Amino acid sequence: MCGIAGIVRPRAGPPPDEQALLRMAAAIRHRGPDGFGYSLEDGAGLVNTRLSIFDLPGGWQPIEDGPGGSIIVYNGEVYNHYELRRDLESRGESFRTTTDTEVVLRLLEREGTAALDRLNGQFALAWWQPGPRRLTLVRDRFGVRPLHYALLDNGTLVFGSEAKAIFASGELDAAPDLRGVDDVFTLWGPRPPRTVFRGVSQVPQGGFLVWEAGRIVEERTWWTPSFDADGGPEGDLEELMRDSVRLRLRADVPVGAYLSGGLDSSLIVALAQQETDHQLRTFSVAFQDPNYDERSHQEEVARALGTDHHVVEAGPSEIANAFPDVVRHAEQPLIRTAPVPLFLLSTEVRANDIVVVATGEGADELFWGYDLFKEVVVRELHQRDPEAARELLEELYGYLPASARRGPAWDRFLLETGDPDDPLTSHMTRVEATAAVKAFYRPEVAAELGEEQSLNRLRAGLPASFGDWSSLERASWLEINTLLEPYLLAAQGDRVAMAHGVEGRYPFLDHRVFEHAVRLPAERKLAGMEEKAALRALAADLLPAEIVSRSKQPYRAPEVAPFFGEGAPDWVEESLSSEALAETGIWDDARVAGLLRRCRAGKATGFREGMALIGILSTQLWHRAFFRSGLGSYPAETDEPRMRLDRTEAKEIA
Amino acid sequence: MTEAATDIRTDMRSFLEENFLYMHPGVELKDGDDFLALGIIDSLGFVELVEEVQSRFELTIDDIEITEENFGSIDAIAQFVAAKQAS
Repeated sequence: MCGIAGIVRPRAGPPPDEQALLRMAAAIRHRGPDGFGYSLEDGAGLVNTRLSIFDLPGGWQPIEDGPGGSIIVYNGEVYNHYELRRDLESRGESFRTTTDTEVVLRLLEREGTAALDRLNGQFALAWWQPGPRRLTLVRDRFGVRPLHYALLDNGTLVFGSEAKAIFASGELDAAPDLRGVDDVFTLWGPRPPRTVFRGVSQVPQGGFLVWEAGRIVEERTWWTPSFDADGGPEGDLEELMRDSVRLRLRADVPVGAYLSGGLDSSLIVALAQQETDHQLRTFSVAFQDPNYDERSHQEEVARALGTDHHVVEAGPSEIANAFPDVVRHAEQPLIRTAPVPLFLLSTEVRANDIVVVATGEGADELFWGYDLFKEVVVRELHQRDPEAARELLEELYGYLPASARRGPAWDRFLLETGDPDDPLTSHMTRVEATAAVKAFYRPEVAAELGEEQSLNRLRAGLPASFGDWSSLERASWLEINTLLEPYLLAAQGDRVAMAHGVEGRYPFLDHRVFEHAVRLPAERKLAGMEEKAALRALAADLLPAEIVSRSKQPYRAPEVAPFFGEGAPDWVEESLSSEALAETGIWDDARVAGLLRRCRAGKATGFREGMALIGILSTQLWHRAFFRSGLGSYPAETDEPRMRLDRTEAKEIA
Repeated sequence: MTEAATDIRTDMRSFLEENFLYMHPGVELKDGDDFLALGIIDSLGFVELVEEVQSRFELTIDDIEITEENFGSIDAIAQFVAAKQAS
């Protein structure tokens, strides 16, 4: 697990400025605290910051395929690299390191991008072939690892795991892209290839692009979640999950696990504890506010499974104080504070000398765990039996106050939002609720963005067979593509773990588990109003009964309270002052003043106002972090590089 | 319209403007407009509205009275409150 970055120019010419590469390394050093390396050649420089997980002494990057050959910088893990290595060795290949990186490079050399289908893992990589001046950027199937790039007018391509590495290059000034911001306030995250930065794109999940001598010559997806029936056998979920967990425990360092106290992470912990011969270390977030706290469930699982359990308690001041750092790492406005406790948790993980954690993300999308899927069922029932549907409405979103889950406003919101014929209909209640943030746009910003630009782009890009899938399969595809990658795996996943050099691993996001879930009959996922039936059956022999039968409790954190009242940091009001709002130019001063009155009075308790406050405040912090200062805010790396691969013409002559 | 009913309408308008309408630029709420159809109040907001009516006018409101007919517009609230006060 690492950070990667680089600059490639259309023609050989002089090498990129070494200081620029050192600035890029420093900008993403948190992703690779163990050291960094870079390569330098005519018109190209590649950077890697390393979090050592395999071949601790020998795995420094960039790795080249012989002098003058192709080079790889790589972030992530290919879990089946032992098997792939054996296969390559049987064909006469030999290796200098025991890393997965070298295996991936050799596979790319031999088979090109066709080799990607053989990789089981989470990775982002850049493969540089100097002869044709070709750079291939690749991202894993679900987009666990990030990869950003900017194609400049002169044909130069600059890339980085995080956008800050691109800005640190000095090749491109940071500027906001309001369309990406509008994506956040529609779907919770900017949807690739778009980002919240003008001129910066992301390689889409399961995608790759090929840049050659100044132009992008190929850009496509190599894997995409499909619900098309393939007629294959569904297989054995237990066997598959055990194998997925076993692969994800592979490392030359100890692996821990996150434990939320819900079914998914508890199941991963149970399987991981059985697979390992040492006591697993588990890590949980607890909250001072009992409305969010799940510690009793976490402790029950830890006790039952005998793990070495660690808890970080997030109080209001911890959440507020860490929020600016989280926004800087997330590199985007947020609508929830939920990433903050996970940012605090990764500090605790690191303090316990753990750098790899297995976690439960992906189960709700694959096995239909969210209430959003139940909403789909209830709305369809409403067409046939309105009374029966209304009775079920109170069962949805059980974490909200009971008084808010009944009455005419609740009924109308859940039953009447959106158009049933809209392909996005399953997601329109979320879109509608999130749009509360957009009500605070300045009129000129709202006019510039227009209505539904994010949704129309999504509608236009739906897969050809989308209409052939069931309503729940369509909802699942949308959830994987609009929430999982742009938000859960990014702002709430990679960024807050890698902020402290911690790698999350996701056994449910093994593509074989996805393919299994697709083949399962619908009722093994959502049986009436019971979610994740197949996972519950699997967990029955592994976990306490109370955990197996627990309803889904979405992970959330306090939103408004940490930022107001006694102990709230001064920068909150300062960031939301008329002057600060004018400088950012996105938010309407008078409307924000109305929201602030409600927040200060403790009345902003609804989810819309919570999202509005966090959306506005995080946008202000994001603006300050990225657009107020220039290159001076990106100092160069001062540590000695662990690898400096000088391949310049000048050196060869010397 | 009685003076009392006018006061109820004025009170409720001021409450709605301060607490909900600030989030809905461009909405000019008339006394007969349906809050829910306009989307200016969500379910938690609806709870807040009922609580406000309860405390401001010192009423006891049963669950079965929490309907759109009684709380769906300023006019509806004025009629509901007047009827409760008269009973």
